[in-house]
Amino acid sequence: MAALDPIRKAIRSPRGAGSAAVLVLVVACAVFAPLLAPYAYDIQNLPGANTEPGWAHWMGTDEFGRDLFSRIVYGARTSLTVAISAISISVAAGLTLGAMAGYFGGPFDRAVTAVVDLTWSFPEILIALILIAIIGPGLESTMVAISIAYLAQFTRLTRAQIMALKNETYVEATANLGAGHFHIIFRHLLPNALTPVIVAGMLATGDAIILEATLGFFGLGAQPPTPSWGAMMSSGTAQIFIAPWIIIFPGLAIALTVIAINLFGDALIEALDIRNRLRSS
Amino acid sequence: MESAAAMREGDLVRITGLTREFSSGGGLMTPRRTMRAVNEVSLDVPRGKVTGVVGESGCGKSTLARLVLRLLDATAGTVTFDGIDLASLSPGQMRKLRRRMQMVFQDPYSAIDPRYTIRRALLEPFQVQGVVQTAAEARATVDELISMVGLSPRMLSSFPHQLSGGQKQRVGIARALALRPSFLVLDEPTASLDVSIQAQIIDLLESLKEELGLTYLFISHDLSLVRYFCDRVVVMYLGRAMEILPGAKAQPRHHYAHALLDSNFEPDPTQRKVITMLAGEIPSPFAMIPGCAFAARCPAASDLCRRERPALEDLGGGHMIACHHPKN
Amino acid sequence: MALLSVKDISVTIGKLNLLDGVAFDIGAGEILGLVGESGSGKSLTAMCVMGLLPRIGGRITEGSIIFDGREMIGLPEVELRHLRGKRIALISQNPMTSLDPIIRIGAQIDQVSTLHLGLSAEAAKARSLDLIAQLRIPEPEAIHGAYPHQLSGGMKQRIVIAMALAADPDLIVADEPTTALDVTIQAQIIQIMVELVRDRGLALMLITHDMGVVAQACDRVVVLYAGRVAETNTVEAIFAEPHHPYTRELIRCIPRLGQAPGSLKGIPGAVPSVVDYPAGCRFNSRCGAAEDLCRNTVPALERKTSGLAACHFSEV
Repeated sequence: MAALDPIRKAIRSPRGAGSAAVLVLVVACAVFAPLLAPYAYDIQNLPGANTEPGWAHWMGTDEFGRDLFSRIVYGARTSLTVAISAISISVAAGLTLGAMAGYFGGPFDRAVTAVVDLTWSFPEILIALILIAIIGPGLESTMVAISIAYLAQFTRLTRAQIMALKNETYVEATANLGAGHFHIIFRHLLPNALTPVIVAGMLATGDAIILEATLGFFGLGAQPPTPSWGAMMSSGTAQIFIAPWIIIFPGLAIALTVIAINLFGDALIEALDIRNRLRSS
Repeated sequence: MESAAAMREGDLVRITGLTREFSSGGGLMTPRRTMRAVNEVSLDVPRGKVTGVVGESGCGKSTLARLVLRLLDATAGTVTFDGIDLASLSPGQMRKLRRRMQMVFQDPYSAIDPRYTIRRALLEPFQVQGVVQTAAEARATVDELISMVGLSPRMLSSFPHQLSGGQKQRVGIARALALRPSFLVLDEPTASLDVSIQAQIIDLLESLKEELGLTYLFISHDLSLVRYFCDRVVVMYLGRAMEILPGAKAQPRHHYAHALLDSNFEPDPTQRKVITMLAGEIPSPFAMIPGCAFAARCPAASDLCRRERPALEDLGGGHMIACHHPKN
Repeated sequence: MALLSVKDISVTIGKLNLLDGVAFDIGAGEILGLVGESGSGKSLTAMCVMGLLPRIGGRITEGSIIFDGREMIGLPEVELRHLRGKRIALISQNPMTSLDPIIRIGAQIDQVSTLHLGLSAEAAKARSLDLIAQLRIPEPEAIHGAYPHQLSGGMKQRIVIAMALAADPDLIVADEPTTALDVTIQAQIIQIMVELVRDRGLALMLITHDMGVVAQACDRVVVLYAGRVAETNTVEAIFAEPHHPYTRELIRCIPRLGQAPGSLKGIPGAVPSVVDYPAGCRFNSRCGAAEDLCRNTVPALERKTSGLAACHFSEV
């Protein structure tokens, strides 16, 4: 299928191939966690606490004696679920808002632009922290906070795309056939605006993983015993001189995943030749 | 042989006092300014004929095209199509009427959604209008449409970027004809094409008109093309109709129409000419001129021209002119 | 001897062979029209003459370009730059790309004469004002101090022409100088440009797709088709007795005053794309008189009763 061509092209480049391999691995961890993890993530074994990495525990154990490798595998599930759901909600909402604002213009557009510009001027982490302070900590709150924190970006990007596309002759030509706004937006404008927004969403997923980890680190995200990479690092800070692996391995997992997402996104941008369209927002 | 349309008499489209204003600015820093892109234009489009509108950039010809199809709403004045006042129609009724009036656009390169195959683009008019077709009917329809404009049905599965400019414009024409309209507005359909292709497209439009009994409103900046293709010619300048020529042979008498004709180089080195330089350039459309719009550049302008706007008057035989001092 | 002599140049960009044996001469004081439709290679030819080909990644694989007795191909960039500013000037289609938006009009024209003629600031300004006046721009002083965005498209193009004239070049290359302008403005600019060029005895290479402009302005014409010269002749002969079927058809594509309805036909098909040029004559698929010979053998550019044409079947 033609739609998969850019992905194929992206995978063929060296950095695309490497990053794609890492991403497949991380996604596999998330999906097949119960099969891949040698232990349950919440079984405590206090006498075996802070065991060094070895044959029994490849990445060692944490301060409660839980197998770190198993927790990292399950942690992938938490991170990816939160990041992907949050960004999906955000992209969907951003596409709708941006399309309406860009297409109809007028007071609605001015209102949306004002709010978007306001949130755009704060870092995502600050917005997320404020939101969590209001709605309270937890996995669902993290998801909502992240999706709202990124909403401005997708709304802006979609709006810019729609504003450019709506002056294309084919939009006027379709209106001239008697097509309504709904037809024009959903059959012409959004399909043509979609690609850069999806790619931006993919890149934002990497940032969202970091944001989720940060919130987890502060204890505002997933609540124990649910494994979250950020929360794991946070508990590792106390043991940093006794059992450095507790903080190192989750840290590596985050870094590797985020770098892979960014590299793959970059390869995809290259393959699709849309760098300018992303910048235009 | 008489074509079907030529036998029916009367005007298909009547335009009366049509005016459209656009505003810009009006923000915190900029004062609000209003321009009249089309300024009290009255014009009839006879059935089965080609009515040409010619003028330079900013003369309002493209705005006029959009007003006639109600792609834009008029600030004042009326457009009637086959006796129906367009402004009186509800959106639903307007949508229905669009089957009978269509447009061919200037830029064939962006007139088709790049993600649509030619087949899908040709079927979209039916989809939009809620015309249900079986798969076999749809196939027959697109085959017929594409052959009508001289393209091979093999092209139906192509995307627009795989076609040349001329081929794309043929698809644009096929799409405009899909719903069997009786009236086509042609908005500079050949302006972005090479001359050898331009002539092909004009030839195609001529034969389609005969075959299907169409009525055309042809918008162009090219006076020689308009004089070749059109039965009547309207010369516009700064939103106003300056002169209406009843036929290709009629000699223009308005000074602007003359300047336009004078600026047209014949493809014949034995007919070289010395251009009479017009003073200045086309004024800003925001300048609200009380008198004749052309007065500032006209060699024959008098105080009267600067003070009082000349009305469009009939010189006889359908030749109309808005000038206080027409050329002899 | 010709001022500029382009001898059988072939140009490639990457794997694409864009020009194939293009040849023509321009004498001092001559106005040569280079006509063709899109894809004919006319703008590329201008880039070759300006020595700008490497900037777009192009390469001249064969032939030579002799300007005033010197070979231009292989000349170091420093010397090319000197030639470009001083002796060969360019007028491009879009005046916006030739004018710096943040520098006053006057300063931009002054700069040309201070740089290339070594004039003092006052002398350069006087010269610029004179040039502006010669291009029939009212109030030269006011325009001298204005910024490009304050001028209309037609005015900007006149300023570009003034800049081209400022260094007293021997050759001006004008690439579709009036295509972006309205007809009345186009007519005026062509007239002024031709007058000034003739007064000064300069050579002008006028690139256009408009046969009307060619008929009005040029002395001799080179017709390009799909990267090759189809025909070259004096302007009178080109219009009176074209030898190449393409030239003949191209002239017929322009409606004339009083032409009978239904008689405008155009040329069937489209200009072939550079990736699938046909073998033999590149016009063969659109030509009514094409035979097997045309589909197999490339016609040479040969001398006819007058001028040169590349057609197997042109009678004379």
